[in-house]
Parts: sequence; structure tokens; C-alpha cells
Amino acid sequence: MTNMETIIPKISTALSALMKADFTTQWRNRRSVVLVLLVPVIILISWKGLIDKLGGPFALSNSLTYGLIAIGLMGYTNSVARDRDKGVFQRLRVAPLPTWAIMMSRLFVQLMMIILVTTAIFIVGYDYDKITLTPMGYVITYFTAIIGGAVYLSLGQMIVGLIKSPETVNSTSRLVYFLFIVIGMFGGMGLLGKQVEQLTKWSPYGTVKIIMAAGMVPGSWSMDTTYALLATIGYIIVFASIGIKKFKWDTK
Amino acid sequence: MDNQYDSILNVSGLNVQYGTFTAVKDVSFDVRKGEIFGLLGPNGAGKTSTLSAIEGLVKFQAGSVVVDGFDARQKPLYARAAMGVQLQSTSFQPELKVSEILELYAGIYGVSLSKGKLEEILKEIKLEESASKRFGQLSGGQQQRVSLVISTIHNPRLVLLDEPTTGLDPQSRRQLWERIEAIRERDHAVLLTTHSMEEAESVCDRIGIIDHGRVIVIDTPQALIEKYKNDPEVVAVSRRGRVTLEDVFIGLTGREVRA
Repeated sequence: MTNMETIIPKISTALSALMKADFTTQWRNRRSVVLVLLVPVIILISWKGLIDKLGGPFALSNSLTYGLIAIGLMGYTNSVARDRDKGVFQRLRVAPLPTWAIMMSRLFVQLMMIILVTTAIFIVGYDYDKITLTPMGYVITYFTAIIGGAVYLSLGQMIVGLIKSPETVNSTSRLVYFLFIVIGMFGGMGLLGKQVEQLTKWSPYGTVKIIMAAGMVPGSWSMDTTYALLATIGYIIVFASIGIKKFKWDTK
Repeated sequence: MDNQYDSILNVSGLNVQYGTFTAVKDVSFDVRKGEIFGLLGPNGAGKTSTLSAIEGLVKFQAGSVVVDGFDARQKPLYARAAMGVQLQSTSFQPELKVSEILELYAGIYGVSLSKGKLEEILKEIKLEESASKRFGQLSGGQQQRVSLVISTIHNPRLVLLDEPTTGLDPQSRRQLWERIEAIRERDHAVLLTTHSMEEAESVCDRIGIIDHGRVIVIDTPQALIEKYKNDPEVVAVSRRGRVTLEDVFIGLTGREVRA
């Protein structure tokens, strides 16, 4: 005999409660938000002298890529690893809530972070470097930034899927972040040789940078950009599949 | 035979395996309306695995779990909505304040929580002054109170408590017992695990002793003492001249310390 009083709360109510909590958590971690914003902004400012030579979209897309990497690898990955270790997820999982809702809420917060970083880069680019895009360029860049952000979020998901210890997740994500910055910056410019330049171009760093630069100037979209977009989507599928398949909700 | 209409939780032939290791073997018991049922066992006996299977945290390979009439496999969300859970280690986002944690879980369980109701809850658990404190800043006893109030925020028919009084001082422990007894008075059911025989004897209406993944015995504490008071194994471990529940427990599960 069932108790007719037992009701399942509406998913919209539960999701909004989760999102409110996740946004609050993000807000309380303002220092990490500032760091995520600061790194691409500093890079953009420091490249002021190179803008005439390399072009505004190049500088914007590079800076934005670093911001997106920081969101995926430093923010999302470490917060998931920490909450899993502390048992926060287990507490949520015993509630009448589908598990996808827990992750959906977190990813929505990261989506807002992507939009925030993209907007900050546009503002700094305009205010400090006088870089302007067409209205369509701005709109497409928001979309490409979301696709690019998804690559690093899924890469982060793969890291927490494969590694259980939050300390090891932290050091691994920092190492990958550092590699992306160094190899991306120097390799992408050809300073580490032709082979590294090619490798960088088709790496998760390079393909995201290509689609973002093309998104900023829609007229420059080429076959190479389409291949980069396909490669980016491929990276998302591979990283997310491994990350979801291997992910454990607790560290035991 | 148990009347199934009185049972709020029915566990039947439960088997939980981790790889090749069987943690829970053919475990069956029920928890009735207005009852506090204690699951006792040494470390690694299968208590938490049994609870985790009921909560839906681990998949079970065989058997059934029915919570308030809802099959946990077929209607997991309904089964979870009918139960409130306090896990062994209290675990909430450390950045959130006590009031925010309460709001979060009220939202998740679909409970509307006005400002007045929130204040009432905080007052009831004597944390009205700590509403704006973060969870990590609370003492162990305060954390347990928050955790218990969250597990009952939606007035569930079944409350599962995994070692709820571990690490609490005697005052906090007594207070928690009173709160657990208040759940029973509402005709709801409580399933708790504990290592404290004093707790089991004082609070539980019936207890089940589990060891090596199997339920050895289920009865009231007094009936168990009565039944085993002349058992040579139990008499051999008795220390106070009279047989206690702890003596029965050690007599049935052995003296060796479990890892």
C-alpha cells in the first residue's frame, strides 16, 4: 500500500534551489572568480603593442581561450573534486532529485561564468585596446565561447572522472592549465618549431582559438575553421564520454 | 508474521556486492510505523552498505527495498521522497550559511519555507544565533542538529540515521535521542545504525544485529538479553555480573577487533 501523500517535488523548484546554492557558492569563491577574469585580462592588456601586428581578433581569441581554460580546469574541476570528496554529492543524491540535475545546475553556473568572462574581455578589449567587432561578431563569439568552454569543462570532467583524489585532481588540472598557456602561447606563435605549431593548432587550445577568432570576424570563416569546429566538437564528445563514464559520485 | 501495511520499510533478500566481495547477503527486515529500529554490527559488518542500498547510493544485486509502499528500484524518486537521510559524515557546501542550507534542501524536497518558518526551525534546534554562520563554523553537535533537521524537513515517513551520535557530548546525544523519539511519536519510523549499545538499549524498540553481511538476530533489546543471558559465549564476555546488550552483541559477533 502506498502513501498517497508522498509527492515528488517539481524539478523546476529543485533546480532553482540548486542553482541558487551553486551561484551563492560561486559568489563566495570570489577570489577564484577574480583570478579566472584576471589572467585573460592581463594577457590582453600586455599584448597591446602586438595588436597592430597580430590583429584585434587574435588578441581577443587568445585571451578568451585562457579564460575558458581557467573556468573549466581551475573552477569546475576542482569544485567537483572537492565536493565529491566531502560527500556533498552523496547528500544530494539521497534526495528525490535526478542526478543529472545536480550537474546541470553546476554547468549552468559555469555557462554564466563563460558569458561573464567573454563580456569582460570585450569590454577591456574595447576600452583599453579599442578593439571592436561587428554586432554579428559579438553574437557569434558568445556561441563559440560556449562551445570552447564546453571543451575545457568536458576535459575537466574527464580529469575528475579518471582521478579520485582532490589533491591529485588539483595538481593535474594546474599542470594541464600551465601546459595550455605555455605551449599555446609560444607554440601557437611558432616559437617552439613548426611541428609544435601544427600540434598546437589542432590541440583543444588551438581549435577553440581558431573558431573564436573566426567567430569574431564572421567573414573570415574558412574550411579550416569548419575543420577546427568539428575537431572541437569531437574533443567535447570524447572528453565528456570518458568523464561521464568513469565518474564516481564518491571517492571510496 | 509482520503486517506489511504497518511496515514503512521492507527489506527482503538484499544482496550488495562490490566486485567479487559480497558486503550484504540475503538481508531481510522491516521497520514498522512508530518504531525506532537499530541496526548494530561491528566495523565492516554491512550496516552502511545496507543503508546505502536503501538510500539508493549503491546498486543491489538481489532482493527488494520498499519504502512506504514504493519499490526503490521501480520508483526510486518516490522512495527517496518518502525518506529522510542523515549520512555518516555531515556534508554540505562549506560556503553556504546554515539558513541557506535549509533553504536549499527545502527547495529540493519541495517544501515552502517562509522567513517565519525558517526562524522557527532555527529556534527549535537552538541555532537562531547561528543562522548566518557557515556550516563548517558550527560545532559537531550543532552540525548534527542541522543535519537531522534537514533529514526531516519534508516530514518523511522514514528517517535513516547512520551513526547519528558519533562524536557528540552526552548533552547533545540526549538531545538528539529526544528528537529521534519525537519522530516516533508522530508515528513515523526511524532506522539507525550505531556502535553505542547504550543508545540501542535506550532508544531502539527493536534491533537487528548484522555481521559478515548477514542479519544474525532481530528482536527487542530486552528480549535479546533474556534470550541469550545463559548463552555460554555471552556469559563468558559478561563483565558486570549481569548480562547487558553489549555482552549479547560481543557474544554473538565475537571478541576480535575488526579493521
